[in-house]
Amino acid sequence: MEFTLNDEQRDLQQTLRGFVERHASGKVVRDAAERGEGFSAPVWVRLTGEMELTGLAIDPAHGGAGASFVEVGIALEELGRSLVPVPFLVTVTAAHALGGPDVDAERAAPLLERITGGCVATVSLGENSVRSTGARAGVTLNGQLDHVLDGPHAAFVIAAVEDDDGPALYGIDLAADGVVVEAQATMDQTRRQATIRLSDAPATLLTPAGDAGAAAVERAREILSVALACEAVGAAARCLEITVKYLGERVQFGRPIGSFQALKHRCADLFVALESARSTAAYASWVVDGAPQELPTVAPLSQLVCGEALLQIASESIQLHGGIGFTWEHDAHYFFKRAKSTELLSGGNRYLRRLVGQRAGII
Amino acid sequence: MDLSVTAEDEAFRAEVREWLAQNLRGEFEQLRGAGGSGREHEAIELRTEWEQALGAAGWIGLGLPQSVGGRGATLMQQVIFAEEYARADAPGRVNHMGEYLLAPTLVAFGSEELQRRFLPGVLKGEEMWCQGYSEPGAGSDLAGVRTKAVLKDGSWSIEGQKVWTSLAFHADWCFVIARTEPDSERHRGLSYLLVPMDQEGVDIRPIVQITGSSEFSEVFFDDARTEARYVVGEPGDGWRVAMGTLGFERGVATLAQQVGFQRELDQVIADARESGTVEDPQIAERLVQAWIELRVMRYQALRTLGTNEPAAASVSKLLWANWHRRLGELGIDVRGAAATVLPAEPYELTREQAVFLYTRADTIYAGSNEIQRNILAERVLGLPRG
Repeated sequence: MEFTLNDEQRDLQQTLRGFVERHASGKVVRDAAERGEGFSAPVWVRLTGEMELTGLAIDPAHGGAGASFVEVGIALEELGRSLVPVPFLVTVTAAHALGGPDVDAERAAPLLERITGGCVATVSLGENSVRSTGARAGVTLNGQLDHVLDGPHAAFVIAAVEDDDGPALYGIDLAADGVVVEAQATMDQTRRQATIRLSDAPATLLTPAGDAGAAAVERAREILSVALACEAVGAAARCLEITVKYLGERVQFGRPIGSFQALKHRCADLFVALESARSTAAYASWVVDGAPQELPTVAPLSQLVCGEALLQIASESIQLHGGIGFTWEHDAHYFFKRAKSTELLSGGNRYLRRLVGQRAGII
Repeated sequence: MDLSVTAEDEAFRAEVREWLAQNLRGEFEQLRGAGGSGREHEAIELRTEWEQALGAAGWIGLGLPQSVGGRGATLMQQVIFAEEYARADAPGRVNHMGEYLLAPTLVAFGSEELQRRFLPGVLKGEEMWCQGYSEPGAGSDLAGVRTKAVLKDGSWSIEGQKVWTSLAFHADWCFVIARTEPDSERHRGLSYLLVPMDQEGVDIRPIVQITGSSEFSEVFFDDARTEARYVVGEPGDGWRVAMGTLGFERGVATLAQQVGFQRELDQVIADARESGTVEDPQIAERLVQAWIELRVMRYQALRTLGTNEPAAASVSKLLWANWHRRLGELGIDVRGAAATVLPAEPYELTREQAVFLYTRADTIYAGSNEIQRNILAERVLGLPRG
């Protein structure tokens, strides 16, 4: 039993932390958020090119590095620290969904190779109006996918579709005829969304009929939950660091306001929430490959715990900063908007809590 | 991070399980579920015999090095033993203070002579210990200790009062922090003395608690005596020794504690089903939240096991104390009005009533919530002192 990161994992963490601090923080994030549609192409090119980051957990047969989800989780956390405006989370979620045990490996292979080649992929796993028609080989889709994360920059989407014989995963090339991608203006400018309209759009059915399709869709949702949990930990950690630093510098009544016990104790509570979230995300990212039977419970649990920690820390960060925390020029609002948007997109924390309760057999 | 368990670990687990099954029977059978927080008075004599059975089989001092008579077990093996012990519903241990505080302190700071004199008594379950730290004027501010000790006729003479001493009435020895340098202040001039309890100069008065029962006592020293050589570390160096004691690994105990917590939570969930209150969406949400938080405490304990960081100790204490206190509230909320009536005079409590009341202490003892938050804010986050 090993409880801490190994040397290679620590190297990955340090490399990424250095990269994010030098090349993907502050002005880069702000420019992408305000003018670049929430996407920094130069950062993405470096991450997927020289750093080969999106292929981290993809099988070497498809050009990947064959690492586990623990390494992916480390990368998500580091990029989460600055809310780096690149579609890494959705791309690795798509990759992990494509590499799953219930997915047709032959059909998934070309899509995985596009990811290792630097393509942006995304996922759409919630309920939708899409219906399929036609035979397996020449299947087409009609309907609409809403709230597709990073949809405006994606080359293809892995979508959950309710077929007559149960849920299935489809791959949809967003450049194909019959596909219209409409970018949305979003409250969280660091992660945009798209509405995708499908009119007789060609698609690749990735899962066999029946239980396997349902299992593949469920696993993809679980991967997305764990990925969001890992990212939230990075964002929460950075947000708390910024806040604690400010409290040590800001002087009122002749002393740093961080010396007031009322503020100290609130920071201590935020630290407890952060540490809890960190442990939960670490456990969940180990479970993905190490104990997949626990994933149905641990995945929504991790998203809930880490998402709540980020929202709590981001909310308190604004209050503890006082007036400056309420301004557009300060970064605090990015964390706050990301936290709440993520919660709402997942159905809300009460929904996640119910899901955990049902799966744990409590309610 | 790889949390898989090895074949050796599984073999060790089987050995522990088998031993407990073979030995927690006969007259010891009745000890299942006895003792523990809020119920330390239960079957204390038989639990002491059980402690000696554990000692004879080599289950005490698992983590201590073999050179001093311990078992030199890995952290994982210690976790396994503690979890299996709790799973078997084996009784609350009667010598926590001896095994988990005094013994590692002696290994870290004690002379070979002291180790030879005192470790066997702990490892065999023959000498019970209590802790003499808190005083009426030195609770959260431990450096305010006023109990004094001076060398008189070749032995220490101790004067003063300790309070909140758990299981004092049952202990053979007490490790006492006393001021041995007259006019010294705060952290200086303190010594860590080992004092026998069975003597005329020691007076024990039980404190009747919110539960109507008494785990804790006041201990008065009036020319209590101990040998000059029974001091751990140098005289005057007691603060460093005491702080070392507070910094020992706690992850193993934390993981074991969680097995008991899970049992308590399962009981509350069963009660909620029986009373029908599980249908109340708010109660249902609180039950699920309690379950989730207990899982999170486990992940936290696993990630920080063996790290000995002050952050980990304070985070763990805040998490479990608050969780347990909320469980106490939830436990009687699911019972409703029925929870207001006691099973018997004069003040016998049901399990859930005892948890509801006793857990008010969890957030106070062993470093109150407020002290833990100070530690995190100042020592871990580096916020300026006021």
